[in-house]
Amino acid sequence: MQENYLAKWLNGELSEAELSEFKKTDEYASYQKIIEASTFLEAPKFDTEKALIDIKVKQQNNNSVKVVKLSPIKKLMRVAAAIAILITGTYFYMNSLNETITTLYAERTEITLPDNSEVVLNADSKVSYSIKNWDTKRNIDLDGEAYFKVAKGKRFTVATDAGTVSVLGTQFNVTQRDGIFKVTCFEGLVSVLFNNKETKLPAGTSFLVVNGQIKDIKAPNTSEPSWINNESSFKSIPLSYVLNELKRQYNITVETKNINTDKLFTGSFSNTNIDLALKSISVPAQIKFKLEGNKVLFYAEKTH
Amino acid sequence: MASKNNNSVCEDKVYSHIFTTNAKTVFNYIYYKFGNEEKANDAVQEAFLKLWENCAKVSPEKAKSYVYTIANNLYLNVLKAEKVRLKHADKTLKVSNESPEFILEHKEYQDKLDAALNSLPENQRTTFLLNRIDGKKYAEIAEMEGVSIKAIEKRMHLALKSLREKIDGI
Repeated sequence: MQENYLAKWLNGELSEAELSEFKKTDEYASYQKIIEASTFLEAPKFDTEKALIDIKVKQQNNNSVKVVKLSPIKKLMRVAAAIAILITGTYFYMNSLNETITTLYAERTEITLPDNSEVVLNADSKVSYSIKNWDTKRNIDLDGEAYFKVAKGKRFTVATDAGTVSVLGTQFNVTQRDGIFKVTCFEGLVSVLFNNKETKLPAGTSFLVVNGQIKDIKAPNTSEPSWINNESSFKSIPLSYVLNELKRQYNITVETKNINTDKLFTGSFSNTNIDLALKSISVPAQIKFKLEGNKVLFYAEKTH
Repeated sequence: MASKNNNSVCEDKVYSHIFTTNAKTVFNYIYYKFGNEEKANDAVQEAFLKLWENCAKVSPEKAKSYVYTIANNLYLNVLKAEKVRLKHADKTLKVSNESPEFILEHKEYQDKLDAALNSLPENQRTTFLLNRIDGKKYAEIAEMEGVSIKAIEKRMHLALKSLREKIDGI
């Protein structure tokens, strides 16, 4: 029997010999029955006329859309509209842009915020805030170190990558860099949000986090952070951070040799006299230093 | 852009003629494939609207296969074949003086056939039903499906084979 003989059979394409052979098989009656029964099959009703009317209606709708031609004036208006949108967009974009103030190494700057709150920005630091939204939201982003004298008013928030500090009106210092997050409150009450935990800092207290660990530190006895008076002070701070601060204050390169920079340092150095500063660090830390131009090398004392 | 040619698909007469002669088959074709009446109706509308939009580019001779291609592509990836619920007419039975036993047996057999049709692969079912219900020649089905006549013969052969196996319970 040839290939696809069932299809051929239905089409009457089998030879007489093939047909008589097929009729002898047991299946023949079954196939015959299927074909008979399939004549009773019917597809669902389909209203051709109605479908044609439907399609004519859709054609009309499509055509009316198709025919519209833009007059030159309309084209011009399109361009004008596009330009207008662009201008408005730029205006709003520029307005929503944050005011950003950055200090370089060995630089310090004072900023007066729209509500007369004051910010003193230490070296290599950055703050940004929105002038436009300042009335509704006193929110300032900080990267580095800054001292805030906040005018009384609505909640004032300093956001850093490490944590958020918020107050109503007070004076406080915030440091966030090199794994250190430190907040010192000098007046009023400060609330520090770190790892979703809120800590209240009354005047004269500090909050310190070193590499994610909260440390207990004693309150400073000053009314302002020492760096405001050109002195960098540290209490149980890793030496590496102290040396980085030196770098920031004097814009010099600092190198170390055979020194454990994880050692904690307590003390302070002058931000105006480099010789004095180098001595202030090296003597308590029991290390030596060599200053050559813009480069300082700290090294361990040989113990021959 | 309507062509001035009287034989253009853009001519209302030509277009309407193509529609009336093919719409029902397009409907059935999609229905056999996916078993969904609503989608079959949509397919007819979409395919013929596309034909109208492109009437200048499609010659009347090509219009038929164009419409099938559009209709087929429309649901190729979207629809999963549902159960086909074909209705059988009882045209013979209405005027019959058959015994109740015969009528019952007939009904049972038609139900079996239905179930067997549902379990066929979509392309075999479509080929079988286009041939049996719409009286389409293998060559026409081949054109609709965009395959060779031999492929359609193969589908027909396999369809019959598995219908028998299912109904006879092999």
